[in-house]
Amino acid sequence: MSTNAAAVKPKKSGNLTGNSRGYTIFAVVVLIVLTLFLLFPLYWIVTGSFKDAIAINAKEPVWFPMEPTMANYQKLFDRPAFLWLFNIVFISVAAMVLTCITAALAGYALGKKRFIGQKILFTIIICAMALPKQVIVIPLAQEMTLMGLIDTLWAVILPTVGWPFGVFLMKQFAETIPGEILEAARVDGAGELRTFITVVLPMIKPGIGALAIFTFVNTWNDYFLQLVMLQSDTQWTLPLAISNLQGEMSSDFGLIMAGAALAAVPIIIVFIAFQKYFTQGIAMGAVKG
Amino acid sequence: MAQNTTVADAGSKPKKTKAPSPHSGMSRALVRRETTSAYLFLLPSLLFFVTFVVVPMFICVYYSLTDYGLGGVKGFAGLNNYIKLFQDPVFHKGFLNTVLIVVVAVPTVTAFSLWVSSAIYKMHAVPRSFFRCVFYLPVVTGSVAITVVWKWILHPYNGVLNQVAGTTGFDWLGNQKTAIWFIILILFTTSIGQPIVLYVAALGNVDNSIIEAAEVDGATRLQVFWKIKWPSIMPTTLYVLVITTINSFQCFALIQLLTKGGPLNSTMTIMYQVYDTAYRLNDLGLACAIGVVLAVIIAIFSAIQFKVAKTD
Amino acid sequence: MKLKRIFALGLALAMTLSLAACGGGSTSSSQASSGAASGGSSTSGSATEISLWAFNIGGFTEASNWDSIIAAFNEANPDIKVTVTPINYQDGDQKLTSAISGGSGPDIIFEGPERIVGNYAREGLMVDLTDLWTASGSDIAEGINSVSQLDGKYYLYPLSAAAHCMAINYEAFEAAGALQYLDETTRTWTTDNFVKAMEAVRDAAAAGTIDITVPGIIYCGAQGGDQGTRALVNNLYSDYYVTEDGSSYNANSANNVKALTLLQDMVNNGSMSANASFAAADELQAFANQTCAVTFCWNYSNYAQYAAQTQFTPFAMAFPSDDGTPELEMAGPYGFGVFDNGDQAKIDAAKKFVDFVCNDQTAGVEAVKTTGFFPVHSDWGDVYADAEDADVRAPFALMNEYLGRYYNLTGGWTEQRALWWPMLAAIMTTGADVQTAADDFVSQANANIG
Repeated sequence: MSTNAAAVKPKKSGNLTGNSRGYTIFAVVVLIVLTLFLLFPLYWIVTGSFKDAIAINAKEPVWFPMEPTMANYQKLFDRPAFLWLFNIVFISVAAMVLTCITAALAGYALGKKRFIGQKILFTIIICAMALPKQVIVIPLAQEMTLMGLIDTLWAVILPTVGWPFGVFLMKQFAETIPGEILEAARVDGAGELRTFITVVLPMIKPGIGALAIFTFVNTWNDYFLQLVMLQSDTQWTLPLAISNLQGEMSSDFGLIMAGAALAAVPIIIVFIAFQKYFTQGIAMGAVKG
Repeated sequence: MAQNTTVADAGSKPKKTKAPSPHSGMSRALVRRETTSAYLFLLPSLLFFVTFVVVPMFICVYYSLTDYGLGGVKGFAGLNNYIKLFQDPVFHKGFLNTVLIVVVAVPTVTAFSLWVSSAIYKMHAVPRSFFRCVFYLPVVTGSVAITVVWKWILHPYNGVLNQVAGTTGFDWLGNQKTAIWFIILILFTTSIGQPIVLYVAALGNVDNSIIEAAEVDGATRLQVFWKIKWPSIMPTTLYVLVITTINSFQCFALIQLLTKGGPLNSTMTIMYQVYDTAYRLNDLGLACAIGVVLAVIIAIFSAIQFKVAKTD
Repeated sequence: MKLKRIFALGLALAMTLSLAACGGGSTSSSQASSGAASGGSSTSGSATEISLWAFNIGGFTEASNWDSIIAAFNEANPDIKVTVTPINYQDGDQKLTSAISGGSGPDIIFEGPERIVGNYAREGLMVDLTDLWTASGSDIAEGINSVSQLDGKYYLYPLSAAAHCMAINYEAFEAAGALQYLDETTRTWTTDNFVKAMEAVRDAAAAGTIDITVPGIIYCGAQGGDQGTRALVNNLYSDYYVTEDGSSYNANSANNVKALTLLQDMVNNGSMSANASFAAADELQAFANQTCAVTFCWNYSNYAQYAAQTQFTPFAMAFPSDDGTPELEMAGPYGFGVFDNGDQAKIDAAKKFVDFVCNDQTAGVEAVKTTGFFPVHSDWGDVYADAEDADVRAPFALMNEYLGRYYNLTGGWTEQRALWWPMLAAIMTTGADVQTAADDFVSQANANIG
């Protein structure tokens, strides 16, 4: 990709007109303003978590905590904050793994096989894809109770896996596998499962990466299911705990920002470290949509 | 490398090669064998899908036809819940707000992320990944963390917005006219990350030789965009539309943590009304009816989107 | 072939889980109504497990606050295991509804009559606690007795109660010269004096004498603390929230409309402010931060919670009233209700626990002290007599003198709460016509009163 960009660049700058230079400046200015606008909340979370009550409630904005305090983090860690962090990581990872496995299998079948009921199934999946969980949450909670899973992390994980978006995405990827390759494997006498593992899986690996990232981020952000399914504070996730802190303590924004920082910073670090894979993976999802 | 070729392929010829119609040229036995093996592959996924989506949906439809409160199902109510619903001014308000959010957020997010992407995709690798990263950060930060910090920023007395603007006491989230726009704005900031990443990749893979040839022929920037780039990134656009629509329909944390549907229902959405009716008013039957209506609306929406996608 | 193994494992897992679920799913529709799903296997062992969901009342904010009480209970009843889930007023209703409708509701709930009697007993979810009342409830005041029952049966067994009041920032009032408008001994003030005091605070803030942003905030955002705004409106011109015979909500009566109009005028002239995005908790925090100089949501529990943050003296006051005689709303009586989860062993265990906490004087006094309120057992006398902070508690004890009529069990209570906030918001923040808004409120609220 970078070679593409490099190839375009000199060509473009070669025939810049006055008009288009103006446009470039305009674009850069807008981008910088936007950057500041989007980064500000993050900055405010992190600096806010180090502010004492006086700075938090000051009548003039305190742009930077000159006397940073750890008091908010102490208050936060008086509670089982690491357990909450673990819970949300566990939920996101488990949902990611299960979704990738089930969706890869199903996507392959939908994309590469011709079978009875295919059209109907695909239509149902498309329709269900945008279905908000709020719609079905009442029966869903009842199911979880019957399975003895209510108030456990699985009550959040399993419905997430049931959401068919992954199947749709993997179908789009599987469709790109040339039929001849599958045919060749079959001729070689490979069984269905063997074909899937040795031929299909390597070919849709980037797609699985895309789905993994997508599922992880989405599950992390799925506040609603966590809110409804998790009750006792040992099962809370960090986002849920932050919202509950807000409920109990009203606007003790220092403590809430400490919670928000703990929830956001680790995943931001992971994201920046693996940015390339993240963006590549997401981009893969794009191309086949 | 293998990845790049897939990307490039798809970029240059966006339309999928039409799959052969299901049963043409296949023997009956082959169809049966294929069907069996296909369903074996589908089984794990279908089990989850049926158990946690389809079955609850049917139960939900059943509940929507009953008088169902905290004490359990008190009896069959026929279409009463639906009648009550369509006469409920809160539902009308929620419907309009939902439409407003979708109609405003989806096109702006799409158009805006396309603009940002076309501005940054030709940049050097470093600024390009910097911007891409910045725009994606709100997504990974998490909806709850972003929402609570916005609550603080918009706080009428201690919020930085009022302090900077000198409008102490102005209640952005407590004002019927401004509350929904802040919801949309925050939704916007957490929604553009993914489309930008997608568009940057898609634009980077548009065949350059065609663009250059067009430029030699004297095509303007706009013509190049509409005639060459736009058709090439059409699949990406559709995908962006789908995920943004889903996002907009489902924005829950924002409303729950900022306004709870208020003030005066000005940020009430159908989705939030399901929650509110079930858990604050304890009318589970009515909540299920709202849910069913929402599901129907979304199904129609999805169907239209995919119809459009097909005809293109 | 690691992948293969993972794949097989995943498949097996998915199948078991989903099969289990399918069986469950198909029966859940018929099952759900009984609300009895949670019972079952736990009775087989010798220990009975019961779950207590406790609202954050007074000092009971976390599960650990119950530890010593449960430990004492277990000395006498080692075979009953009590687990505590703390819930709060922000999303407690949602958690309870979701659990009850899902069949995983608690065995015991710690709350007041609004939910225990008004919501849950009315839906037939609670166990009759008349036997506890007959055995040990003879010294409980009539006012508390009457609100613990529905149709002649007792569903709430109370522990402690108090009165909801308001509070002012003493130093700010002093600096603004507003203390002259209130009676510091009886902690009462008239409506006229309240208006004058708030105007004095406004002017002092404008002049820079005191560092207060707004004199007071009428919070109109949903969820909790509604008693404060109700009591404020009703007391200003001595009216009631519900008509005498309980047949209609009363916000549109001449006096209540007059009160709402007065508040609207105060908002307009800056001696009061109104925020539609504020819940009671936000207003309390603003009071603690000295953003505003009064709070309408005060009791010992809130005092204790915000004590560490307040850099001033929060001075408890009764709500202003035109005749100077306030009628306060009862906080509580807080106590226990037992859910009928269809498992007699659990019900018996739960009752034993309730009996222990509320009637065993040693455990009971400790529990009462944790709530920070006053015991419902008059025989227990003044439990705070030799407490270090007796002087801090005295004003709250004084407020008990002003307890007024209890109307929180009126039909449609939950629904009207959802209507009250939009009405307040419309009147206070959008300048809506008071009579029209109040009429609308009453006609909608009355729809569920029967």
